[in-house]
Amino acid sequence: MTTIDRDTRIPDPLELDRAEEERLRIAAGLTPVRAQVGEYAGFDQVGIPDRPPQTEREVEVYTLGEGEMLVNMGPQHPSTHGVMRLVVKVRGEIIVDIDPVLGYLHRGIEKLCENATYTTVLTYVDPMDYLSTMHNEHAPAIAFEKLYGIEAPKRAEYIRALVVELNRIFSHGLMMGFLALDMGGLTPILYAFINRDEIVDMLSAISGQRMLFNFFRVGGVNFDTNDEFLSRLGTWRSNVMKNIEMNERMITDNEIFRARTIGMGTLTGQQAISLGVTGPNLRASGVPFDIRKAHPYSIYHELEFDVITHPGGDSYARYLQRIAEIKQSIHLIDQIIDRMPHGPVQAQVPGIIRPKPGRAYAAVESPRGLYSVYSISDGGPNPYRFRMRDPSFISLQAVPKVMPGKLVADTMAVMASFDPVMGGVDK
Amino acid sequence: MGHLRRSGTAAHALGRRRALTTPVAAGALVRLLTERFAADLRDLWTDADTVEFTIDAERALDVMRSLRDDPDLDFFMLADAAAVDYGPGVRFEVVYHLFSWKHPAWLRVRAHVDRADPRIPTVTELWEGAMFHEREMYDMMGIIFEGNRDLRRIYMSPDYRSFPQRKDFVLPDDAADSPAAGVNPLERPETWDLSRFRDALTVSVAGSELRGDAPAEAVEDGATLADKSRPR
Repeated sequence: MTTIDRDTRIPDPLELDRAEEERLRIAAGLTPVRAQVGEYAGFDQVGIPDRPPQTEREVEVYTLGEGEMLVNMGPQHPSTHGVMRLVVKVRGEIIVDIDPVLGYLHRGIEKLCENATYTTVLTYVDPMDYLSTMHNEHAPAIAFEKLYGIEAPKRAEYIRALVVELNRIFSHGLMMGFLALDMGGLTPILYAFINRDEIVDMLSAISGQRMLFNFFRVGGVNFDTNDEFLSRLGTWRSNVMKNIEMNERMITDNEIFRARTIGMGTLTGQQAISLGVTGPNLRASGVPFDIRKAHPYSIYHELEFDVITHPGGDSYARYLQRIAEIKQSIHLIDQIIDRMPHGPVQAQVPGIIRPKPGRAYAAVESPRGLYSVYSISDGGPNPYRFRMRDPSFISLQAVPKVMPGKLVADTMAVMASFDPVMGGVDK
Repeated sequence: MGHLRRSGTAAHALGRRRALTTPVAAGALVRLLTERFAADLRDLWTDADTVEFTIDAERALDVMRSLRDDPDLDFFMLADAAAVDYGPGVRFEVVYHLFSWKHPAWLRVRAHVDRADPRIPTVTELWEGAMFHEREMYDMMGIIFEGNRDLRRIYMSPDYRSFPQRKDFVLPDDAADSPAAGVNPLERPETWDLSRFRDALTVSVAGSELRGDAPAEAVEDGATLADKSRPR
């Protein structure tokens, strides 16, 4: 850690105001800002905001007890899964408290979407949670169809469910690889990326894009299935169980992996519900909540699948949960391919959609949990308000809850087990 | 609408334990809500999979607590909490979406918040996870959640002085280029004066002097200290 020499750095334009503020504070009989901060936590430590704490919680985090210090993890940390900073208060190697600092990737996508037409909104939401792009498009597509009062053709709904489940499989596969990587196991991530690329190639064959697919349209999907997609799907399907088993052999019974995940970051079901944790992380705490069953959308009410839960609530349960869900997704894909009807994939929709004034809420089960969109129309060509609830943003609150008392080295391993994607956290 | 078309027979054939959304099921919820919250509830409205009603901001915490704790309602999960700005002079709305196993419909609670003095009680004591939702709403819309013990900015930097998702927010750059420049008064972010929220915030941290805004004497004509040295 380096100490910034505050006398030689480039002067901050706000500096004069701060000095003035300081003078006024002293005149008003208040504690000077600098002294106040110094009192809380040594002024020149890296990571300490050079302003007085604003809330009770901030005082709690930035007040140092005997033998405690603050360490910054990130924002450019290789395993924060994006640009994110954790201010970690430690006593020796033991974590005392964590304060996540967000916003490094904030692009204001909600605001952008409020200035875009309904069709172009579906392109803006893509880079949000960049590992579940298809899900990002699914929820707004459903919400806008509700607002506009149209329905997608049956075949389009089947293709949507198919690509969404494929996306879920590669996202869960990557999570397993990253989890092992954060504990120092390099091999699983390489295999995870091989498996992912098979699916990404498949999805790029159907959508024409590699990562930000831009595949969904209001009232359907962009393209029908084509030969390349189907042949890749067939090859992938014949190998996928073998690949999953190989992954399981590599990770599941690995002694180091088990030692570092079992009993780590344990969340009870009650805690998880209170914290707003959803998706596989919630089901790994034993709560059978899955939007696909709870509020069936698309064609999920016609398909058969189980909501798997694990009672453990620790990192290992969250890992096993992903494997079980990959198998359920493959089961779903088999049914979708069996039952896929013929017909058009796009309803007749004008280029610029102007729904009647109204409100619509649509929630989908993304690989990270409940991803929902609340859209308000005022009758114009753009949404009046476009709200997205990203699951990783809310689930991230669980990390400071479960980490106190654990070792610094386990922070990233536990965080990886919650599988947050910073593109989604920061919107 | 395809995604909402649900037949009772299909659910039965697949052996699902939970009934699918039907208007009848929503009707039971509507009756229950009318019984329990007759005094608070306004504009009850329902569509295929949502039941919606409006309340006043002051009653938000009590209503949400009954919705969560009443065994007949049992809305145990806060699915979403979002703020909506209906424009200057109209109002803010804090919109909660709740989920319950007992009622196969989303419940949407819209709490009207006064735009001139945007305050609403926090629900973090019911759901800890509402913390990030409320911090985001404070950051983007400037709504004060009374009783929230960590109400600070989450996306924007801590010294940022504006609320960018408000409908009357205009970037200074845009304002200069706009054909309306000099014609319509545009709210400049720097002039957004947080000191008028100071009292509310000081109360929320139990009387301590933790909010580091400038003391009241330093604020003249609605301009903050930061404005004095900034080029206009």
